[in-house]
Amino acid sequence: MKRIFVSAISAFAINVAAIGAMCAAFTISSYAADTSVQVQMDMSKATPRSMEPLTERAVLRDYRFAWASMAQALESNSIDSLQGPFEGDAMRWLKETVLSQQQSGISQRYRDQSHRVEAVFYSPEGDVLELHDTVQYQLQISDGGKVIHDDPVTLHYVVLLTPGADRWVIRQLQAVQQF
Amino acid sequence: MRRCFLILAALCSIALLLALCSAQELRVPETSTAGDDATVSSTGSGKGTLYLVGPGISHKSDVDLGEDIHIPGKDLHNAGAYLVIVCSSSCESGTLYVTPAKPYSLAFIVHPSRVPVGRNNSISGVAFPFDQYRNLIRAPATVNFELNAGKESLLSQSDRTQQGAAWFRASSGRSAGTVQVNASVDDISAKRAVQQVASDPCNLRITGGRTKNGIEVQTEPVHDCAGNPVPDGTIVTFTGEGPQGKVTVDAPIKQGIARAQMEAKGEETISVASGVVMGNELRIGAQP
Repeated sequence: MKRIFVSAISAFAINVAAIGAMCAAFTISSYAADTSVQVQMDMSKATPRSMEPLTERAVLRDYRFAWASMAQALESNSIDSLQGPFEGDAMRWLKETVLSQQQSGISQRYRDQSHRVEAVFYSPEGDVLELHDTVQYQLQISDGGKVIHDDPVTLHYVVLLTPGADRWVIRQLQAVQQF
Repeated sequence: MRRCFLILAALCSIALLLALCSAQELRVPETSTAGDDATVSSTGSGKGTLYLVGPGISHKSDVDLGEDIHIPGKDLHNAGAYLVIVCSSSCESGTLYVTPAKPYSLAFIVHPSRVPVGRNNSISGVAFPFDQYRNLIRAPATVNFELNAGKESLLSQSDRTQQGAAWFRASSGRSAGTVQVNASVDDISAKRAVQQVASDPCNLRITGGRTKNGIEVQTEPVHDCAGNPVPDGTIVTFTGEGPQGKVTVDAPIKQGIARAQMEAKGEETISVASGVVMGNELRIGAQP
């Protein structure tokens, strides 16, 4: 009887450990999936200046980071992650959105972001870059923790970037109906 | 049994009817202009909650279903996509695109701030029209670019914006001084200034002679090929070669002239250069 009881306890402990491990694994993978931002970038049509491969890599890196930072800010309702990747008008309205969300108790979650980006203008001196981004993601909006909207979204963004001291920063981020 | 089934069916029908009566439908306009009011219509009855989530706003308020819902223009300043959600027993949503208003200002970037005279395609500028709410206007607009150096017109051209941007490239003029760069759309304009400075020295010539302490050499007033005086502070290099070896002296231009003193007793050949420009050679005999 005692042996049966011990083996039952052991089996229960193993099951609990297994379930715990599965939960942990699921949490890590879903977090990683949520924060991943897929970006496909085509700079071949940038005019009047053509883009150097190194610059292209830097833009890709900084653009992806900016969207991950924006998603984090809108989900956590904190402007900390916006400092750096955003400047100017883009920074202004993103800050306003976060502050507005803090007041209303709303939060937004961008999942599975996939961006198809094309450069359409790169100024003669290389100090302004305009991108067209067709982005798809799963938008989840919650009010006080209760999900009120959860739908896939496809949006077109016109983006202006300028080179900063150590990265490309987004100055204008404007959704349009079509390019 | 049959009676029970009939009662159940009747109850289900009533519940369905009630649900249909209270269910709302949402009609959201496709577009609106930045700063303008927008009206959203809903069907259904009772109270609901309106959510407006867009660039710069994340707002909720109580609404009466079945009545028009007015969204004030102050909530629709930023161009972009706004999600309108109305919730009661369930939630309905629609997207409203806010488009920029008419041009109000120009973002105008000009490079460089200083440019040597007579350089091809050395000045460039980019202009982006914005509305009063700082939204980028992508609808084609004609931007007039004008570059004037005193009375000399360096450029006057009109360009249609493409994807919100218009740009120019121009050569610098022949005279040192300020170039006024102007971009305008309708009655909106933006002004910038570029300083034209002398180019590399041209016809660099030196004169000199022996003094008690050695050799003193000096340039004639240093000008570029267009006759503009080369700015003070520009370095001129004097090199002397003689029996005792080579001596080099760097001297800045002061009031248009560079001067140097060299210690040399033997016969010396003095040459002069500034940047990549060489001047004449001067031969000075040995100390008597």
